[in-house]
Amino acid sequence: MTHLATEGLVHAFPGGVRALDGVTLDIAAGESVALIGQNGSGKTTLVKHFIGLLRPTAGRVLVDGGDAADRHVADLAGQVGLVFQDPDRQLFSGTVRGEVAFGARNLGRRGAALGAAVDAALGAVGLTMVGGLNPYDLGRARRKLLSLAAVLAMDTPVLILDEPTTGQDLAGRDRVAAVISSAKQAGRTVIAVSHDLRFVAENFARVVVLRDGRITADGTPESVFAESGWSTLAETGLEAPESARIGARLGLGSTVSDGALVQALGAAQ
Amino acid sequence: MVLATVTALQATLLGGLLGPLVLTGVLVIIPAVVAGVLPRLLRTAALVAAPLAISALLVNFFFTPNGATVLFQIGPITATAEGLRVAVEAAVRIAAITGALTLFYLTVPLGSLVVDLERRGVSPNATFVISSAVRTVPAILVRSAEVTDAQRARGLDTEGSLRRRLRGLLPVIAPVLLGSIAEVEERSLALEARAVARRGTRTLLWWPADSGLERFSRWLMVLSVPLIIVARITGWLG
Repeated sequence: MTHLATEGLVHAFPGGVRALDGVTLDIAAGESVALIGQNGSGKTTLVKHFIGLLRPTAGRVLVDGGDAADRHVADLAGQVGLVFQDPDRQLFSGTVRGEVAFGARNLGRRGAALGAAVDAALGAVGLTMVGGLNPYDLGRARRKLLSLAAVLAMDTPVLILDEPTTGQDLAGRDRVAAVISSAKQAGRTVIAVSHDLRFVAENFARVVVLRDGRITADGTPESVFAESGWSTLAETGLEAPESARIGARLGLGSTVSDGALVQALGAAQ
Repeated sequence: MVLATVTALQATLLGGLLGPLVLTGVLVIIPAVVAGVLPRLLRTAALVAAPLAISALLVNFFFTPNGATVLFQIGPITATAEGLRVAVEAAVRIAAITGALTLFYLTVPLGSLVVDLERRGVSPNATFVISSAVRTVPAILVRSAEVTDAQRARGLDTEGSLRRRLRGLLPVIAPVLLGSIAEVEERSLALEARAVARRGTRTLLWWPADSGLERFSRWLMVLSVPLIIVARITGWLG
């Protein structure tokens, strides 16, 4: 299991934009954390540091206590799996199965172990039946699930998802939620960058709010989305999920998910 | 604008040693100073021309036949003064050509080139092909950087031995190409929806300025090309 941390992390892009401006964050093994914030707040920049694709301008990134600066991306990839937002910027194989096998093979898996990893990953996202097709014969939403499977097959202790639900219908969203839930059960750390606050509230135990490269809120969904935190959210251009706002209006406390709202309503009656 | 480049290029192809130098000075360096892009021009042109110029120098210097004045000898290779002359001429020519092309690239915004071509009766389809081809290059660079990141995140080692790196080419090139192709259909539909294929004349929102002096110098340069050819053939220019 892997422990992630950043200490005073600063990242300035060429041209001077400070995408991260002193982020100190500690993510214990097995936590599920959602990073939220406006476009350009530094969410994706932050997660790219955990796998070494971006290197700090100042500060440190620690993976299991060791400085990530000393390690290659290919090496970190064995511990940290990062699913990119856009599937079309990574799919290359002639078949869906080949695509899923790529990362696992890079990590040294071969033969039966590789086959089993591919089967499990395809099963998890519901693409078992299309294993022989060309990835580009799938629609965009399923290509996105495929790129998720390709990282799942690597079986990394940390799973990072960048905007996993964009473009997914309800069924696809449920698939992603199920993948996150079983990864949590397996004790893996799950981190997601998302704009879908309802999805965040339903699936993550901890929410970190970023604004202009700094952390402005960090806590459970119940505390971050509670009425007292709305002004902070608004400054970041965010609005608490509808269920939280209805719950607050009815005086039911912080009901961040539909389930919690229904439960609170039932209890109130 | 376009013609300045083309003319400088053609004239250079015909010059001797002094010719290209003068041309570079008058048609590339001076306009670059006026436009304020000289440092960028020199940097870019040097990057583009250096490998070409160096190889041309070496090849011409050592492998020009019929050299009488031997400078020195390395094994079977003989360096002659004639070879050196040819080599420097070639290098100067390359410098002039890249200089002219770089100047064009740095000073002419793509938009005004496209508008100008359309005004001169080039079909919108053709200008679209030109502009999208030019605009695609930076987009492809960005795209391949993103693809490389995504594959490295899946454990692709791009920092190892040459063999490893060669093996890493396909996973990077394929998504760049496949992804671009996948986008083409969508893009063409989007263009269609904005009436790109409509026949008839179009209204331009903006015209690039084209003064009488510019027109005059363009024609002067076009005329200079046959003049130089004739001069070269008759041996008047040496």
